[in-house]
Amino acid sequence: MMGKYLPPMLENLLGLPRQLWESLLERLFFLPPFPEQIDSLALFSLLLVVGLLIGEWLHAHARWPKVIGYVLAGILFGPSLLGWINVEALAQARPIADAALGLLMMEVGRRLDLSWLRRNPELLRSTLADITLSFALIFGFALWLVGLTPAWAAATAAVTMASAPAVVLLTVEEARAQGQVTERIILHTAIGSAASFVAFALVLGIVHAELSEDWLNALVHPLWVFVGALLVGGLGTWLALGIARSLPKRSLAQVFVLVACALLAVGVARMLAVPVFLTLFLMGVLLAARDSRQTLRYTALPEGHWLLAIILFVIVGASLPWHEFTWLAGIQALGLLLVRAIAKTGALAWSGGSLPLPKRLLVGMGIQPLSATAVFMAYEIASLYPEVGRSALTLPLFAAAMMELLGPALCRLALRTSGECEAGDHGRGGIG
Amino acid sequence: MSHNKPLEAFKDSAALSLGVELELQLVSKRDFDLTRGATDLIGALNYDERFGEIKLEITESMIEISTLPRLTVDGIAADLGGLRDTLLSHCERNNIGVCGGGTHPFHHWPERRICPGDRFDQIYQRYGYLAKQFTVFGQHIHVGCTSADDAIWLTQALGVYVPAFIALSASSPFVDGVDSFYQSARLNAVSAFPLSGQCPALDSWAHFVEHFGFLQACGIAQGIKDLYWDVRPKPEFGTVEIRVCDTPLSIEQASSLAALAQSLSRWLLRTRPPLATGKQAHVARYNKFQACRYGLDAMISDPVALCQIPLKESLGSLLEDLAEDARALGCEHWLNPLRRMVAENTGDAKWLRTQQSQHGNLNDVVRQASACLRRKDNPFLEKNS
Repeated sequence: MMGKYLPPMLENLLGLPRQLWESLLERLFFLPPFPEQIDSLALFSLLLVVGLLIGEWLHAHARWPKVIGYVLAGILFGPSLLGWINVEALAQARPIADAALGLLMMEVGRRLDLSWLRRNPELLRSTLADITLSFALIFGFALWLVGLTPAWAAATAAVTMASAPAVVLLTVEEARAQGQVTERIILHTAIGSAASFVAFALVLGIVHAELSEDWLNALVHPLWVFVGALLVGGLGTWLALGIARSLPKRSLAQVFVLVACALLAVGVARMLAVPVFLTLFLMGVLLAARDSRQTLRYTALPEGHWLLAIILFVIVGASLPWHEFTWLAGIQALGLLLVRAIAKTGALAWSGGSLPLPKRLLVGMGIQPLSATAVFMAYEIASLYPEVGRSALTLPLFAAAMMELLGPALCRLALRTSGECEAGDHGRGGIG
Repeated sequence: MSHNKPLEAFKDSAALSLGVELELQLVSKRDFDLTRGATDLIGALNYDERFGEIKLEITESMIEISTLPRLTVDGIAADLGGLRDTLLSHCERNNIGVCGGGTHPFHHWPERRICPGDRFDQIYQRYGYLAKQFTVFGQHIHVGCTSADDAIWLTQALGVYVPAFIALSASSPFVDGVDSFYQSARLNAVSAFPLSGQCPALDSWAHFVEHFGFLQACGIAQGIKDLYWDVRPKPEFGTVEIRVCDTPLSIEQASSLAALAQSLSRWLLRTRPPLATGKQAHVARYNKFQACRYGLDAMISDPVALCQIPLKESLGSLLEDLAEDARALGCEHWLNPLRRMVAENTGDAKWLRTQQSQHGNLNDVVRQASACLRRKDNPFLEKNS
């Protein structure tokens, strides 16, 4: 929705065409009024192309992960800088971002292999250590050093404790990484996400209790979020498996069914105000757990879904509150990231399941990203009590904003150093 | 020529002792495609080598298990079982699946990664993409010889039976996601290497040393490992090595093939049939192709009788002829599965095709094949018994 709210620079640019159009309108009666709003599809394609170009350019010239380029495009054109993507445009593009995030979360859920923990108890120890240390240290930092109230400190910890599934998946895919470090980064990310979602649902209740002392909402809201997401995710799973069973495995038709059911779940979750990331994550988990006949086990999402991810990160970039940046907030966010990094690498250093220490530390580095889910969760909690929530959650948002740029690079560095990337296959024949 | 390794003296070993090497597939437990992980697996392996070795092969998606030298097939089977169980439990901890079979049915070879190590690096530098395409999985059987001359004679004599070993082990019908029509497509990947094929007609160890010196002088081979012959002498072990078998889907089938090698070697060394090595050289490649393409249905050319004989027929009578030697070696019970296989015209390749037609996709085929390796029985025998 650019029209009335267009930034001055765009308004000036459109001045002449608008005059020309209005003069033609007097003669050509079939013409519609001068379009004041950009069409959703046009906005979608613009964001796609701009994000893509910046991502590709940075990747080709600086070897940066493409995700950083998408986020930078969002920051550049978002409300904080040029303002070409304003708040209304962000809201307009939100369904696409939800779809992109939903598909990525479903993929992470499908990869959550809990049986691995049973087969390797050391991994259970390291993932539990990651979850508890991350939550506890971030909570302590936010409570005692930043001075947030217990509820907002818990919200900050819930939002930032886990790695970023979308960034991790995109970086792994981009690097074509494969191996033990890669697999453990994905496992830690998936389990960390699951834990942060549980913490998120509980925090919703705590925030209600602290800010309004409304015990009905404090009890029912977390239930609504969790049970709602489970039911919608379950419905999507049931439909997807039910329909796909009659189709050939790995067929294009199955891919369509999977994507369509995922998008249906995204839509229903949006209608019921149930978080999309949680719903689709649970749908992914259920798809993997309930698929005893391997109906959809080998059916991968189409390559094209990465295009949606570009939109997601452009929007995440545009949603970051850089215009509210203060040095104090920046230092606090850096402190949070430092504490979080200590928690994650400390957990991996302590235990890591049959992997030597240097590789465990690489896993610790690879799970540093903090991104879309954190930003969406923060806004979700903040919207409960907008008058206080927005400022109370500045800390996780700035932490996410900084990690948005650093996280993909750290994840990529971990994968490259482990020698598990396809790109490392040059020179001495991929020996390293 | 500075890299040439002098040929080691033939180290005599116990007569008809056995050793078996199996190259196995490392697969993802998510989609059953090949995965990379051999170096990490070996690096974290805490194992005292009581059953033999677990080691790297050319690419990160392969792992090799090799037994200790044993006098009996029962000993080999026990070692293979121990190695399999050790490897499986270690792989389970790392969320990696293990599978038999001569080829992975649908992996994308450019995705393969060469393992660290000077020898692997040299192979990659020399052969380029062939090294990655060499991600195929074979069983090698060593038979101990008490003298170098016996080893050369046995190398020639076993050459005639190469089609039998190929047909009985064939487990690579799928390549690059399609049915190759072959029972063993793996050997097509091996035959791309310039030093693959048959051992030339040599009649003594001295003659072999002379021939090897000639290959070194011509710059063709630097060490004995450069010879990818179907059957070759292995002086440092004091053995003759049969290298044409696909890795079967089960440890039990691998043990049966070892029993065939042992009893056949005993029978050959005991009866010393005349060898028409010169004539055999003319039909060897054709016979090998027949066995790879048609398995037990192959028609084998006999350059002495000047006719073609169905492999099934000659194998049936060979297995009967070997009964006495197998009994003497205590491995007759291991030949029974092979007899049933020939009688019922079944095998791993056929079983894999059946799985493909049942499931309609190759991911499930690898999933089932991976389950076969874990089971303590032979899949196709169970299915047909």
